[in-house]
Amino acid sequence: MKKQIDNIWIGQQDLTNDEEFINSAGKEFAQDQVEYYDMPAHLSGNRRDFLKFLGFGLGAATIAAGCDIPVKRAIPYVVKPEEIVPGVANYYASVYVNGGDYCPVLVKTREGRPIKIEGNDMSSITNGGTSARAQASVLSLYDTNRFTGPKEKDGASWVESTWEKLDGLIRAKLNGAKAIRVVTNTIMSPTAKKALEEFTTKYTNAKVVTYDPVSSSALLDANQKNFGIRAIPSYKFDMAEVIVSFDADFLGTWISPVEYAAAYAKGRKITNAEQPKMSRHIQVENHMSLTGSNADNRILVKPSEQGVAIAHLYNEIAGGGMSTSGLNDRAKQNLSKVAKELKAAAGKSIVVSASNNVNEQLMINAINNALGNFGTTIDWSKPSYQRQGNDADLKTFATDLKAGNVDFVIFWGANPVYDSAYGTDIAASLSKAKTSISMALTNDDTTDLCTIVTPTTHYLESWGDVEAKKGSFNIIQPTISPLFDVREAELSFLIWANSEGIDKTKDQPYYEYLKENWKNTVFKSQSEFGSFQGFWDSTVHDGVFEASVSSGPAYSSAEIGSNITKPATSELEISFFETVHMGNGQFAGNPWLMEMADPVARTVWGNYLAVPVNFDGVRTMVGLNDLKDGDLVELTIGDMKVVLPVIQQFGQMPGTVALALGYGRKMAGNTGSNVGVNVNGSLTMGADGPQYFNTNVSVSGKVGKEKDFSCVQYHHTIGVRGIDAETNKEINVDESALVFFDYFTGVKGFQGALTDRSVIYTSNVKDLKNSIEHLHEKRKEAQHLNEQQIYRGYDHLYTLGHHWGMHVDLNACIGCGACTVACMSENNVPVVGKHEVSIHHEMTWLRIDRYYYGDVENPNTVYQPMMCQHCDNAPCENVCPVNATNHSSEGLNQMAYNRCIGTRYCANNCPYKVRRFNWLDYTKADLWPINQPRLQEESIPFGADNLTRMVLNPDVTVRSRGVIEKCSFCVQRIQEGKLTAKIEGRPLIDRDVRTACQTACPTGAITFGDLNNKEGDLNARMESPLNYIVLEETNVRSTVTYTMKVNNRDQSFDA
Amino acid sequence: MIYKHLRINLIGFLVVLFTAFSASAQVSADAGKTLFKNYCASCHNKDMRSAATGPALGGVQAFWGDDVALYSWIRNSQELIKKGHPKAVEIWNQYKPTIMTAFPDLTDDEIGSLLAYINGVYDGTYGAKPVAAGTAATDEAPKEKSSFPIYVAIAVVLAILALLLAKIISNLNVLAEAKEGKDAKAKTLSQILTSKSVISFLIFAGIILGAYTTVHKSVELGRQEGYAPEQPIKFSHATHAGVNKIDCQYCHDSARRSKHSSIPSTNTCMNCHAAIKNGSKYGTAEITKIYASIGYDPINNKYIENYDEMSEDDIRALYTKWIGDEYKREKELADLDEEGDKQVAVQWANIKKSLTNPNKSKIQGPIEWIRIHSLPDHVYFNHSQHVTVGKLECQTCHGPVEKMEVLTQMSPLSMGWCVNCHRQTEVKFNDNDYYKSYKRFHEELASGKRDKVTVEDIGGIECQKCHY
Repeated sequence: MKKQIDNIWIGQQDLTNDEEFINSAGKEFAQDQVEYYDMPAHLSGNRRDFLKFLGFGLGAATIAAGCDIPVKRAIPYVVKPEEIVPGVANYYASVYVNGGDYCPVLVKTREGRPIKIEGNDMSSITNGGTSARAQASVLSLYDTNRFTGPKEKDGASWVESTWEKLDGLIRAKLNGAKAIRVVTNTIMSPTAKKALEEFTTKYTNAKVVTYDPVSSSALLDANQKNFGIRAIPSYKFDMAEVIVSFDADFLGTWISPVEYAAAYAKGRKITNAEQPKMSRHIQVENHMSLTGSNADNRILVKPSEQGVAIAHLYNEIAGGGMSTSGLNDRAKQNLSKVAKELKAAAGKSIVVSASNNVNEQLMINAINNALGNFGTTIDWSKPSYQRQGNDADLKTFATDLKAGNVDFVIFWGANPVYDSAYGTDIAASLSKAKTSISMALTNDDTTDLCTIVTPTTHYLESWGDVEAKKGSFNIIQPTISPLFDVREAELSFLIWANSEGIDKTKDQPYYEYLKENWKNTVFKSQSEFGSFQGFWDSTVHDGVFEASVSSGPAYSSAEIGSNITKPATSELEISFFETVHMGNGQFAGNPWLMEMADPVARTVWGNYLAVPVNFDGVRTMVGLNDLKDGDLVELTIGDMKVVLPVIQQFGQMPGTVALALGYGRKMAGNTGSNVGVNVNGSLTMGADGPQYFNTNVSVSGKVGKEKDFSCVQYHHTIGVRGIDAETNKEINVDESALVFFDYFTGVKGFQGALTDRSVIYTSNVKDLKNSIEHLHEKRKEAQHLNEQQIYRGYDHLYTLGHHWGMHVDLNACIGCGACTVACMSENNVPVVGKHEVSIHHEMTWLRIDRYYYGDVENPNTVYQPMMCQHCDNAPCENVCPVNATNHSSEGLNQMAYNRCIGTRYCANNCPYKVRRFNWLDYTKADLWPINQPRLQEESIPFGADNLTRMVLNPDVTVRSRGVIEKCSFCVQRIQEGKLTAKIEGRPLIDRDVRTACQTACPTGAITFGDLNNKEGDLNARMESPLNYIVLEETNVRSTVTYTMKVNNRDQSFDA
Repeated sequence: MIYKHLRINLIGFLVVLFTAFSASAQVSADAGKTLFKNYCASCHNKDMRSAATGPALGGVQAFWGDDVALYSWIRNSQELIKKGHPKAVEIWNQYKPTIMTAFPDLTDDEIGSLLAYINGVYDGTYGAKPVAAGTAATDEAPKEKSSFPIYVAIAVVLAILALLLAKIISNLNVLAEAKEGKDAKAKTLSQILTSKSVISFLIFAGIILGAYTTVHKSVELGRQEGYAPEQPIKFSHATHAGVNKIDCQYCHDSARRSKHSSIPSTNTCMNCHAAIKNGSKYGTAEITKIYASIGYDPINNKYIENYDEMSEDDIRALYTKWIGDEYKREKELADLDEEGDKQVAVQWANIKKSLTNPNKSKIQGPIEWIRIHSLPDHVYFNHSQHVTVGKLECQTCHGPVEKMEVLTQMSPLSMGWCVNCHRQTEVKFNDNDYYKSYKRFHEELASGKRDKVTVEDIGGIECQKCHY
């Protein structure tokens, strides 16, 4: 049963005009849900109390008026470092690395404090793009849960120790150990590897076990067989005309998403609307992943069918004879079509898979080889080292540990008790090892079971190097001295190995070691620089060094075994997926990431079971077991039973459910502990390692209702349609509140409401010409309407100086959310916690709205970054009773917090729903602690303690309770950019002012600039015929322009 | 034709030559000023007449009489002393152990410019501007006459008039009632004063006055015009900026490039006070605090290694010895007398008190000054915008600092005060290419339709210029 919907929708509720949803959409602030937290008795008062407080208030004010102003101190440096000018930011090149996660960055520091991460555009891999994880990494530096120094376990509790004492103890124990294991995630640092080598040379019974939290082991093993190198090639998505991905979330989480996203977006942008060209992207999956949501066509297969789906394509393209029994017919048909497309684009296509089965990966390589993609779109001359994990090694380690054959374990940056498939085994048998050391930053599930903690430094406090791809080197340089008594893990290994390269009398021994290693390796391999110091200074300054590389290995075929994933016959299957923000739990302790909405499900603070929704053929969408969003169910996987909330997921294949990895950590600090459920123990164990699905699963009916259901897509909705129950016509759901009842005629109708709102325009690329015509007609209509009014605007005011505007290319936006975290970081946006989010109190200035369109059962998706539109005829401005929000001559919609008295009229009047109200004192900006919320049973809110507050941007006011806030177009950056131009006595150029969201974006979807600068980038973008303004018909004269979303869907796939 | 061409060329050449000459002549003293600021002003007095760390530079060429020697002296004085040049040795004997910084990179032209500037200032031909444009405030401006006594006089007259009228009305009432044959008595003064209307008027007036005062006073809450707290060091701007004419931005060096003007770090003080160890006003009492903060041993003229780990007793021993020695040297005593002991004890106690506080128990470390100019957290103010771009004198907002013995906040730093200035101040519109995008204003200026562009005209009083 099909239903094609031309317009957009956000979920089941608005498609079906759900009453509860309409009610909640009408109540922007969910006032009736506001409750107070542990309100002390003395504050819940009556009229008498009010008078008492009034009297007290007057008295207090009188006394305060008579008092002296508190003495403030101005404390200068004793010896001012030459490079620091108080009030001026310094930027240092470094690299964000977390296991295989990699992003070259510039670290913005103020008075020696790192406060913001920017991309390093000198990097040839990421080209200045960032990810949400990289943006949020600065907050983990100031994590209050960090270890403050080395510790030893005494019985069940941790006791502070010293490095001297522990070094001696550890060396003695190492000498007596019979089997030493160092467990790590991927290590991309050549010098760290050298340090480990020294360690394993000194202790010959030591072995390094590397695994990845989400495994790519089979891919590496297959490449080993085909190319003789255990690495990953460079995928050039920009050169590919057809992209086929089997469950690989390459835009969100797979291998190197920042790099892939930028290249992918190049092929998706419409540069010439006359002769539009865009790549075609087919995703084969069961759950709507971030990458799948960007695909043109999604071919739905159950997780256990992935193997035969690959086999089918392999048979069609490479002429193999693999069995494909069990593959559903529809997928079979469509994959045959895909095969034809691929053949037509031979040499200009890419096929990738996230499968963790070696034979399946060998088939993928064979397909790419048959298509001639190696050497064109898949490049082996610069292999990537971003995944190095080996599942077999980890399995051996787990077995050895269980058998009691390992007596000394060191965990470096790895948390296998939580994030590996062998977690339960390792947890149970870790005590068999006499000594277990963790080098973690904070206490995690593994560290908690260890006997010694020798905490390592955060990357912003460390020296280090990275070779993410062959010949692409980066230097990690510290931007602050270690906040606590911690030591680089590499240094610990070298000290324990009694390395001769370490001079402990030196201030920074590992720095000297690193430099020496570079002198002997990288420096020698280049000819550009004559002196090492010159080479070193230049590399540290740039953060990158590109060595020349020779050509890569050629493909040699390998025998493909028959052991691939077998389709299961069970009724229901569950797949497990990694999310952009949580990874496999590595980022659970980071409040910014925890509160970042999942791009697709748009849920926060926890993992929700994604259940499919089916169209019943009339007008109702039915979820699995009649489940609705926020219902609690009992999920049984094997012998594990958990109760968790569900979310109805469009595009989820019937007969499957999906659940995110990375939640339910027992030990993840104040933020991440016990949020959501952990499913790492439920992975299926395949021949080559863990498989991220399970076929032995059942879902109960509704057993309850989630108390704090938090899906932000249902908050702050704008102009989304549903079907009116009375007239059976499509209406805007937020307008059903405007429906009036005429007592004389008994007719229901609209009070002059607009029933056809322009929020999103979509088009198929083949139909682009017509769509553009339609768009222009619509815009003309709106503009005509807008002219029929008394208000003529003040456009002439903005011709002087600057007129700020923004352009968002929806074809480039992949919804990764890097901009949303960058915005929180830049603008001191508070984290409010799950309960507050559930009552619509999230404070995000920039949200990425996710809309579906097209086929209701397998829809396309469009992401729309939505922030204050800085309307030149802003409806919020003229309702403010105190003129706290008003317009600047540069076209900015200004918000003066100190003038705001919190009537919220402006938010009520904002058609885009982008204004946020500080219901409570989220950042400890008030004098009165009673205004602070209690979140997660903490004594103070997230970000309110002095350590975390070090991350605040000193140029942006920290807002207190009772005021409205919203996107300011990063006005602090505008002012800074203008000042730079003024000081240099030259006209302002684009480079001077770039907003935080713009610099964070890996795909260049956001362009900010001066509309009056005719030569600027913004005006170039404004010429696209795809441009439109959201809600243009409301005549608010927004200065943010969006482009029509264009897809390359082949409708014949739906047949 | 050829002649004409030639003539034009010749004229052109002459023009170029002339401008080049006049330019170079003009530039050199100006360039000298910049050079002087950058290289010399930290030790040599700006007025060229009185000595500072280094000697007064006025008449330096006459003193040396030999430009070659003078030039090499400037480039490397120690070398010349070693060579035994008589003038060099003469200066050395006078100023040792203070070594003049060597400037080997200065070109002949640059030194020439410097000397031109020095001579210009010395004989008054260089157009040295008056120190501050904003000092007018301290000049004996005619005091505005207060109108308060007049209001009081009017109020008294009106009150008497009201009473008289009340009395007359009362008498007329009595007459009228007497006419009607009623027995009535005239109201006494106290009866009038306690009458209903007078009392309700007084209550009304009280409420109005109270409300007015409350609002007025609460607007001023948090403002501290005239604030002049006692600082940990009795630093005198009058001595440094006034007498010695040290440029404001020599110490407050981030004002030109940052939002903060910055309190100078202790090492900036040491640029001069490594040599000037005994102050003209407080002797060793205040300058020793600098040494105790940074760890400088004034007896042996060197920085103390690992000063941070030094015990308080050792620190006390060092600096009390220094204070005592200086006392003895001044009084020409062999041993400390009773007064000397007292001096040493008092000065040391003062040093300790100034450099420590409840949050800082160690003597070592930064000097914690008391902040005077302090804007609320929700106000963004940028010094470089005003100093570098707006080319304002520091004194415009901070008052005649060079005359202040104790620094005082001269301006209210209120929003009204900021806004007023932004309304009146003219933007240096033509000097800066940044303002080119304000095309209409430029046209209006050219056509005479507009005589100036104020900060307000380019959006200078909009909320988000200062609040974000």
